[in-house]
Amino acid sequence: MKMPRFVVAKGFVTVLISTWILIAICFAFAPSSVAPGALSGSLPFAAILAIVGLGQMLVVQQGGFDLSIAGGVSLAVVIATHYPAGDSAYLLPAILIAYACAALVGVLNGLLVGFVRLNAIVATIGMNALIYGGVFAVSGGVPRITTPLLAAIAGGDTFGVGHAVYFALALLLVVTFVMKKTVYGRRFEAVGANPLAAASIGLNVRLHQMMAYVLAQLLFCTAGLLIAGITSQPTAFQGDSLLLPSVAVVVLGGTSLLGGRGFPISTLIAAFFLNQLSQFAFAVGVPYSAQTIIQALALGFGIAIYSIHLPSTTKEIIKMSNWEDENEVIVS
Amino acid sequence: MAVVNKSEREAAPNTCSQDSVILRLNGISKFYGRIRALSDVSVAFNAGEVHAILGENGAGKSTLMNIISGVVRPQIGIIEFDGRVVSNLSPETAAALGIAISYQHPAILDDLSVLENLRVSLPDEVFSGGSPRAIAQAMLDQVGLTVPLRARSDLLTVAQKQLLEIAKALAIKPKLLILDEPTASLDQDGTDMLFRRIREVVAAGTSVIYITHRLAELRQIAQRVTVLRDGRMQGSALVADVSDQDLLAMIVGRSLGSAFPPKAGNAGNINFSVGSLTGQKFSDVSFDLARGQILGVAGVVGNGQSELMRALAGLLVSKGDVQLSGRPLLPHDLLHEAAFMPSDRHAEGLAASLSIRENAGISALDKFSRFGIVDSKMELQEVSDAFRSLAVKASSIEAAVGALSGGNQQKVVMARALLSEPGIIIADEPTQGVDVGARAEIYRILREVSAKGIPVIINSSDAAELEGLCDKVIVMSRGRVVETLVGEDVAEARIVAAAVGALTHVDRQESSHARAKVSNWRHFVQTDNATAVPLVLVMILLGLYVFGQNSHYLSSFNIGNILMLATALGFIAIGQTAVLILGGIDLSVGPLAGFLVVVASFFVIDGQPPAVILLGFAIMIGLAILVGLVNGLLIRFAGFTPIAATLAMYIGLQGCSFLLRDSPGGYINGTVVGWINWQIGPIPLAFAVLVIIALVAEYGLRNRRFGWQLRATGSNDGSARRIGLRTDRTVVAVYISSALFTVLGAIMLMAQIGVGDPAQGANYTLSSITAVVLGGTSLRGGRGTFIGSVLGTLLLTEVLNAVSFLGLSQTYQYVFQGALILMAALIYSTVRERAAAPH
Repeated sequence: MKMPRFVVAKGFVTVLISTWILIAICFAFAPSSVAPGALSGSLPFAAILAIVGLGQMLVVQQGGFDLSIAGGVSLAVVIATHYPAGDSAYLLPAILIAYACAALVGVLNGLLVGFVRLNAIVATIGMNALIYGGVFAVSGGVPRITTPLLAAIAGGDTFGVGHAVYFALALLLVVTFVMKKTVYGRRFEAVGANPLAAASIGLNVRLHQMMAYVLAQLLFCTAGLLIAGITSQPTAFQGDSLLLPSVAVVVLGGTSLLGGRGFPISTLIAAFFLNQLSQFAFAVGVPYSAQTIIQALALGFGIAIYSIHLPSTTKEIIKMSNWEDENEVIVS
Repeated sequence: MAVVNKSEREAAPNTCSQDSVILRLNGISKFYGRIRALSDVSVAFNAGEVHAILGENGAGKSTLMNIISGVVRPQIGIIEFDGRVVSNLSPETAAALGIAISYQHPAILDDLSVLENLRVSLPDEVFSGGSPRAIAQAMLDQVGLTVPLRARSDLLTVAQKQLLEIAKALAIKPKLLILDEPTASLDQDGTDMLFRRIREVVAAGTSVIYITHRLAELRQIAQRVTVLRDGRMQGSALVADVSDQDLLAMIVGRSLGSAFPPKAGNAGNINFSVGSLTGQKFSDVSFDLARGQILGVAGVVGNGQSELMRALAGLLVSKGDVQLSGRPLLPHDLLHEAAFMPSDRHAEGLAASLSIRENAGISALDKFSRFGIVDSKMELQEVSDAFRSLAVKASSIEAAVGALSGGNQQKVVMARALLSEPGIIIADEPTQGVDVGARAEIYRILREVSAKGIPVIINSSDAAELEGLCDKVIVMSRGRVVETLVGEDVAEARIVAAAVGALTHVDRQESSHARAKVSNWRHFVQTDNATAVPLVLVMILLGLYVFGQNSHYLSSFNIGNILMLATALGFIAIGQTAVLILGGIDLSVGPLAGFLVVVASFFVIDGQPPAVILLGFAIMIGLAILVGLVNGLLIRFAGFTPIAATLAMYIGLQGCSFLLRDSPGGYINGTVVGWINWQIGPIPLAFAVLVIIALVAEYGLRNRRFGWQLRATGSNDGSARRIGLRTDRTVVAVYISSALFTVLGAIMLMAQIGVGDPAQGANYTLSSITAVVLGGTSLRGGRGTFIGSVLGTLLLTEVLNAVSFLGLSQTYQYVFQGALILMAALIYSTVRERAAAPH
């Protein structure tokens, strides 16, 4: 039996080739969009999208959705800016408070979805509104200037690359390592890929589902803290614009919305791809409007490629045809 | 011997007169891939006769029935009905010809009431010429089913559903009636009643095809019998002319073509014993097993065997005494000790998207890891070793497990089981869907495992397999052990005889009379509109409280204001409700509403002639239909999930809005706005329209065919298709209707903002879902209420309005909104669970 160490996923190949093509097109038609200046300006935002994408990916792997990402990111932003109010000495407690809140939100989401069995969309819409209640309680809806220390940590750059990018890469390493190399991660993927099978070998399905929401909120919180550092005066609605792209990068990265295996590296590349697509469109003078249309098309195209993999309708028909005789499983 | 054997088969149909033949099958063959389900089956069914089809599980009976009822098409062969050749038989044409089928697993839709189930699956003509309720009641009386017509079908027992299924089949007064193991869940009374009905319809000239496993029943009811084995006809005969021995000889004796390993010679000490184990669908099961022995569980499918296997694996709760090597085990211990090999590998055996290595290694990760980190080398080594000893054939150990053949998939399941070093192995149908070559290897492996001292328990519906493999076999019928065979007695004929000859019937407490009564309170809570009461109460209390704080709250102006705001969301929520009832979701409604307003801002503006304004409305409707159509087609024919399709649409539509206008512009025609905002006292006309539409939609949902189809499709797509509904068409139509309701919402929104603003509208997506959930529609599909959605919209708007009236900060606006939706979701789900639970 041949045993190659690495098997390349279809999603990875797709997203990587698309990205190379995009970069080539950028060099050919809009060199300004790949100039060092433009890249150093846009990469931190790609990095933030990648981080929330990783969080959303974990939830999607469990067949769920976290719409409270908007609230989660915004809450971290306002806690990090309003609590210290410009005084760097208060930054550390602020960050700890932010993570504590994120963990609490994640546990509540996870309890509602994993244990009470509420629909993930309903539970996280409700939770999102509650978090926004908290956002307004903290900020009163007004932005405040970020602390210098946070601006240096999150917004600074080393070797010409914004720190956010290093954060994203580090988190990518952590997520990849945990998911691919640890017992916990392997079980997590197995639960997502087939909860019934996981239950039949005695895994605690609900607990794994809950943990997806907790880990996702911690990542959303990290993204919020980075935004608070990069943006000089972040608003209370900073997270709203990340909701749909976070799902889009997960889908483009090849993770199935039905759950299962996650593709962290592909998700990160997809975040870069989506970001660069906007940069390209911007550089060639396409208005903001057309950019989102291009994104929608890219998303639709991505889904179409992956759904060829799952001939759901034919499977159902075959299932139906031997519905009556449970023994007669002819499909193998 | 009067049995017509294989060589004389061609002549068999001619033994009866030509004109009485209703259905004639000639040389029917059906293949699934390489596997042959039926080959060259020729049989004729006569009017006024009960024709039994006999055969073991997997003999091809159900495939034959599916062909006759039009669900499956044969590759080869001719179907003649009433002397005419029928090509392209579909469920609809079969029904039109007068072919009715009662499935063994009833195609009853749980979310519909008994009456609605009858009405959606039967043609309207059946109910013409009288009150539909009275006609439906007569149908239930005919089969002795005593449940209220209004009762929701998920409250019915399996037996009651079976009777309802039979009532449906009888109702169309069929020329050909197919009954697929109708008595499997019926008690003695139910069976007697059914036989009386069958005799009546047969006397009236109907041809009945009766599928059964039970010889005793065959003798009671059938005139003619045809035996299938391995997808081939073994013969046809008149029941009166054939003995039980002859029939058994035809049923059994299939060639397996694979070798069995030698059985355990001398039994060792008892190392696994079960004493009076009782659980769901089985009771009082006892057996013990000596070291080195394999136990087989036999019986007709659905007699409690799979539940017993699950209980032994610790996956179902059971009571009784289980001992492994003298150590008592509780269900919790069983979950850890037992390695379970499920019968449905796709559903719960394997994670098809993960690799072979990942699937095999998952249950033994603790063994391969240090400090929680998996040692990949060790894992690879152990998994490879296991695969080598099991002879798993795969291109690579990293290949997706879904790509393997059935036999190799089963070996991966076995590898997983063995790697976890289990105390006991529970294999449910281990060779189902496995090719002949791999079967022999699976038998060998099971025997080796057993020889090592691990007790092995196998459930199989294949008696020949049990004969070859097992040292001891228990035969189950209706959840009880009816025979325990050991040594020489472990023979296919003995097993089949015990399984088909069993006379046990379902206990009376499980019968058709239990749980028939539903109290009024329970019934009301069960209805989809029950949420109206708490919603209205909360609205009134909230209104009075705010009025107490600020007397302007109930002013005509403010009420008009609330209603006006609610109307835009209300229309969109109605569309969303229909989609959610279908089990889908439409995320694109918000941006669509915004986009349509932007489109309107080019046509419906001051200074344009009426023709252009009308054209604008027509374009809005046309675009909406297009959007709904694309959503529906992507979901139904391109394999997109509803979320993915409508999310892409969401982003795209937002882009289109900005493409048309990059900043607000185009003031909406004042006269049109005046018309839209027209009020009678505090009540806007548009709100009245909304209420009327909601009431009409609600009425249609409960009382019109399209409403039943919608709920049937959302309730269970597969069952809806089996009763002949065109679910694809329903889905596309509902997404289009959702977009059309969004047009109405957009018209209201247009009047509110008065200008084409590309940034508006998107938030209506989440608001509409919030309002609908608040109203009591569940996202699981099948159930919903338009009235509730309008009330939910009103409550949501009222709360937001109250927050500003009470002078509260925005914090409260969000907190109230979030608390409302979460509380509603929690309360509705718990109340429904309570109400659905048995007394």
